[in-house]
Amino acid sequence: MNRRFSAAVDYTLALAVLLFVWWFATGPMALPTFLLPSPLRTWNALVTIALTGELWAHLGFTLQNIVLGLVLGCVAGIALAYVMTRFPKLAVWLDGPLVILQTAPKIALAPLFVVWFGFGVLSKIILIFSLVFFPVFIGAVAGFRTLDPKMKDLSKLLGLSAVQRFRQIELPAAMPEIFVGLKIGAVQALVGAVLAEWMAGKVGLGYLMTFAAATYKTPLLFAAVLMTVVLGLLLHVALTMMERRLLSWKGAKNG
Amino acid sequence: MAQSERMIDIAGVHKTFVADHGTVTALEPVSITIRQGEFISIVGPSGCGKSTLLRLISGLDQATGGSITLDVSGRKRPVGFVFQEPVLLPWKTILDNVRFPLDTAGVARAQGDRTALDLIKMVGLAGFEKALPRQLSGGMRQRAAIARALSDDPPILLMDEPFSAVDLMTRDNLNDELLRIWQSTGKTILLVTHSVDEAAYLADRVMVMTARPGKLKCVHTVELARPRGEETKLDPTYHALVAQLRRDLRTPGGEAH
Repeated sequence: MNRRFSAAVDYTLALAVLLFVWWFATGPMALPTFLLPSPLRTWNALVTIALTGELWAHLGFTLQNIVLGLVLGCVAGIALAYVMTRFPKLAVWLDGPLVILQTAPKIALAPLFVVWFGFGVLSKIILIFSLVFFPVFIGAVAGFRTLDPKMKDLSKLLGLSAVQRFRQIELPAAMPEIFVGLKIGAVQALVGAVLAEWMAGKVGLGYLMTFAAATYKTPLLFAAVLMTVVLGLLLHVALTMMERRLLSWKGAKNG
Repeated sequence: MAQSERMIDIAGVHKTFVADHGTVTALEPVSITIRQGEFISIVGPSGCGKSTLLRLISGLDQATGGSITLDVSGRKRPVGFVFQEPVLLPWKTILDNVRFPLDTAGVARAQGDRTALDLIKMVGLAGFEKALPRQLSGGMRQRAAIARALSDDPPILLMDEPFSAVDLMTRDNLNDELLRIWQSTGKTILLVTHSVDEAAYLADRVMVMTARPGKLKCVHTVELARPRGEETKLDPTYHALVAQLRRDLRTPGGEAH
């Protein structure tokens, strides 16, 4: 409790210092607004779009894409990892193509996704999916492969069905490694979501940035950037809470 | 204690593995009939096939030849198995671990809880129902594993060096508790061990196995009164048997270590 409190104090202090430097640069140092808008102007820009409802539409769109991409990427990553560990022959066949796909820079493929899947939601979600899939897949493969062989004996003795074995033993056992991949994937998902919106479409925080930059509305640009930072933090907090719940049995976090 | 009804009939069971340089005999043909409610110890050095025999009886591995008949009238899970390590699910509490076989067999939660709580009490873990495996000592985890193996009431309990990872004091205690559990449940128990003392102390009969190739050398009937306790360990018959078992393991054909 005490440690938590002092951590909160530290964070607040750091934020205050940052805000002060920002204010100092725009106030006493008098940097022009088109280079660096003051904290107050940025705040005003943010409040304005919040009140008109514009902000929520953009934020909602980006968040929706991230969540969809994360969920789909996770499910597919875990599913393929499981199939590959259950059928090693398949793994031999898929290893090569997967390495190529994995090492291909997904960001560079983004324009191609737009060409293939259009300017809408689909191309965006596919980009996020491709960024989330591999870290989760690699984590899940590691998780499934390190399963204690004695656990297999146990499931055989109990005559567990394939579903029971997966849900009760294999998936929970692989969860720590899956989470390592998921946390990397979540950061990537935010990058992918913003980038996809830079390229195409008329909604999302990424679109808001390109719009603000093109029209020299620097305070609005700053507001949009701030929102992506907040979104990243929210994702991190949500995942950490999930991890605490699901992996409390590891006891790494609290003794 | 010795009912005449047969529980396990092993006839000419053997096992060979195919390795890079040819076939390896893990177990030469073994035949023995085990009665219902009997406590059998199996002793032998590493590589004598004692664990193999247990795995064959449990159905974890298939024999190369011979037959194993369990008189269990079509039960889905005729054997409870206790491994050398506890093999508990680390994300489940002790209660959930013990109830796991019941949950996966579709037993109602309330009934499963009742059975599991009784067993937890029987193995001396009352008060630790909500604990996670990592919060318990090795001996306590092994107790939980025993409770789990008993939870869906299998007639046969197979134990593969269950106490080899715990310290000597704990081991003595666990041995006594195992005897108490055996007496109160009437299970047929096969216990594999490295320790001739443990084998003699616990069993009705001791199977002596020797290595390379693994085979059953002889079977001793233990003529010690029940219930057994500290006095048993002072009994000259006990010492004579332990000495005999040591000799069995040392003579040619039995590469004791």
